[in-house]
Amino acid sequence: MRRTKSKYRVLEALSPILGVLASIVVLLLIAMAIGEMPGKTLNAIYKFTLANASRLATIFSLAIPLFLAGLAVAMAFQANVFNIGVEGQYFIGGLVGALAGIYLKLPAYLHLPLVVIASMIGGALWAAIPALLKVRMGIHEVISTIMFNNIAAALVNFLVNGPLSGRGEKSLEPQTLKIQPTALFGKLNHWFNAIGLNVPAHVYLDYSLIVAIVMGFLVWFLLYRMRQGFEIRAVGTSLEVSQYAGIRVKRVQMTAFLASGALAGLVGLQEIFAIRGVYTFEIAAGLGFDGIAIALIGGNSPIGVIFSSILFAFLKQAGYGLQLYTAVPNAIIYVISGLMILFIVVTNEITSRYIRALRRKEAA
Amino acid sequence: MTLLKMDGITKVFPGVRANDQVTFDLAPGEIHALVGENGAGKTTLMKILYGLYRPDAGTIRLRDEAVSIKNPRDAIARGIGMVHQHFMLVPPFTVLENIILGKESQTAGVLRLEEPAREIAEIMTRNGLPVDLSARVEDLPVGLQQRVEILKVLYRGAEVLVFDEPTAVLTPQEVVELFKTFRMMRDQGKGLIFISHKLDEVLEIADRITVIRRGQVVKTLQRAEASKPLIAELMVGKPVFLHVEKAPPSPGKVILELKGLRQRSPRGNLVLEDLSLQVHAGEIYGLAGVEGNGQSELVRAITEQVRLESGDVALEGVSVLSWDVRTRRDRGIGHIPEDRHRYGLLLPFSLAENLVLGRHHRSPFVRGSVVDSAKVRSYARESIASFDIRTPSELTPANALSGGNQQKVIVAREMRFDPILLVASQPTRGVDVGATEFIYQQLVAARSRGKAVLLVSADLDEVLSLSDRIGVIFKGRIIREFAQGEATKEQVGLCMTGERQSA
Repeated sequence: MRRTKSKYRVLEALSPILGVLASIVVLLLIAMAIGEMPGKTLNAIYKFTLANASRLATIFSLAIPLFLAGLAVAMAFQANVFNIGVEGQYFIGGLVGALAGIYLKLPAYLHLPLVVIASMIGGALWAAIPALLKVRMGIHEVISTIMFNNIAAALVNFLVNGPLSGRGEKSLEPQTLKIQPTALFGKLNHWFNAIGLNVPAHVYLDYSLIVAIVMGFLVWFLLYRMRQGFEIRAVGTSLEVSQYAGIRVKRVQMTAFLASGALAGLVGLQEIFAIRGVYTFEIAAGLGFDGIAIALIGGNSPIGVIFSSILFAFLKQAGYGLQLYTAVPNAIIYVISGLMILFIVVTNEITSRYIRALRRKEAA
Repeated sequence: MTLLKMDGITKVFPGVRANDQVTFDLAPGEIHALVGENGAGKTTLMKILYGLYRPDAGTIRLRDEAVSIKNPRDAIARGIGMVHQHFMLVPPFTVLENIILGKESQTAGVLRLEEPAREIAEIMTRNGLPVDLSARVEDLPVGLQQRVEILKVLYRGAEVLVFDEPTAVLTPQEVVELFKTFRMMRDQGKGLIFISHKLDEVLEIADRITVIRRGQVVKTLQRAEASKPLIAELMVGKPVFLHVEKAPPSPGKVILELKGLRQRSPRGNLVLEDLSLQVHAGEIYGLAGVEGNGQSELVRAITEQVRLESGDVALEGVSVLSWDVRTRRDRGIGHIPEDRHRYGLLLPFSLAENLVLGRHHRSPFVRGSVVDSAKVRSYARESIASFDIRTPSELTPANALSGGNQQKVIVAREMRFDPILLVASQPTRGVDVGATEFIYQQLVAARSRGKAVLLVSADLDEVLSLSDRIGVIFKGRIIREFAQGEATKEQVGLCMTGERQSA
């Protein structure tokens, strides 16, 4: 009995690995078509990803915002809500957090949690409008959140250039005033160094790592240990069954949507509070869309998202390596991550059918 | 000459022998019934015939010619048609569009509709299957949707027709009509494969009967040598008694009262028209009627919040109209839904989760907001044991179980929540004989514990054998009530067609 349970687990874990391997094979084939031998391609990837502690640490650093973005999307997906608006939600969430960091004067032990909470509130508020439109008026969230991404970008651009611009600060790009030192995220590199992992000083393993770990745990606990999470998963599995069972579907979808927005608000933490120390219109865009892919590959589970966000960070790094050492363009990484989703969906489907058949046999 | 011969068909799914050396044949102008419990392998065999599965071993011959059927299109081209149990229709399309779908013809890119419409109209009259071609399928009751399915197959000129439990949704009169159609098709030299759980029907219509159990053919019987007990015994491997043992009724106070319910469909026609009825404690009230006469709407008015034009639904004298589903469940309304796949179970979820669904938010399954999974699991193990659910464990997902066992999960859940009122909608649809018997016992047990049971069923035998009182619903009204014993099958059946004064 125990053995069959773990057999299913192994099968389930195996399928994404197969998908990843298949897409790497495709990458090598493409590289060969461009004229690069597989050995050279692999070597370029290796040098930029696994070759030393610095590269490895960089991958983990890159994975932090990706993890939060994936977690945000996964949270909504679990309730069958397609939050394509993580992008806009982290723009707004980050701005609200930054404002709390700029204009409030508090001791660090209050200021730090406050900017985190403010970011979450900002993200949740930006998600609240499409969420209400969906629940009250049946407007599909894919359409409204995409529109809200554009509105968020325009709004942030206007605010940073206009009312909130930090004139007098010496900068080439429009940005806000500087965030108070009490709200800046310090690095945790010395913790890792203390246990013998040598993380170079230029790599950002900062407080946002703690936020990511805490959020990952909270989401997992909510989904798999709390009845609200049970209802979220039930709604995501079947609206009709949920309604029949007396689950208040709209309330559940609203909750999941807002939680997703709140998580989305955290995506910019690292860049704003650890790296830049100001909010600018130039903060990295596109993480919200990466989050969709990460959530899909991670099977919308917090644990899966840990692996898929690291995988994505790995791919990003690998892309830089390819760019630098080979004739393969960086953009190939987008092709490969797309293929990877495809392959993983296929291998997942195959293994889950196989597992279902095994279970039926067991039940028969 | 044989029309169809399937020989030594074997199909193995990872670890399961769904079909094991199955031999089955069909002559032109023959109705050959295929019977067996759920999961016996009938559906697999038919999916092989229809090209949905490839057999691992065995041959298929059509008119003495070996064929290999690669996909359904192949099957259709060779004159094999299938009327599925779960309809394969596009709901927002009209009847006509659904029938021609996949066989459309066009003139300069414009869909030709008139010729097919004439042709279909002719098929309709020839086979006694009238349907409004311009109606949207989603607006049709289930019974009419099935006619569309049959028309689809006939329009494609099928010679071998497979009917997968076609009578499950029909009234006795409709079954009579369907069987007329069957005989007409038989007389035209077509071969019919008839899958059914209803042995009376099988005995009435079939020329030969093949019984399958656990993927193997137990026996093929000629009509003359077959009898109901014999088939039932061959099916389950042991004698089953479908007679329901029941103490005389001792109805108590009124539990459910429907007063003058009036409701219109989105299209504006009345679906419930001043409908009133009462169900007492310790009573099974059977609602008989042709599918689509307001049964679903009536059930919905009891179990969830709907917009009514007028009328009231009261539970123990208190109006429930302002209560949502959760409140209704909390106050003691249990519900076995008519479509278990669509409403009853979270298929990928574990049995444990499914067995508490609907009460998962209450003690003892949660403490605060945290699920007490040890409680949930131990509760589930009790349910599995006392309702004889065949499963390796309570953590097995619901989609790994057979249909009969899935239905037992729902029955176990709703029974163990101990409702004051149980609304049981088609509780044994598509369920094998063994599970059916068990579900009957459970409904009777609920009655003897003083519960009010509203039984809605398209199976008239079921209504007649279980109910203390029977209400016949026709066009959204209860047109007549019978006490048990005063109703015969013929009377109730006639009444279901709208005939108030039965002979």
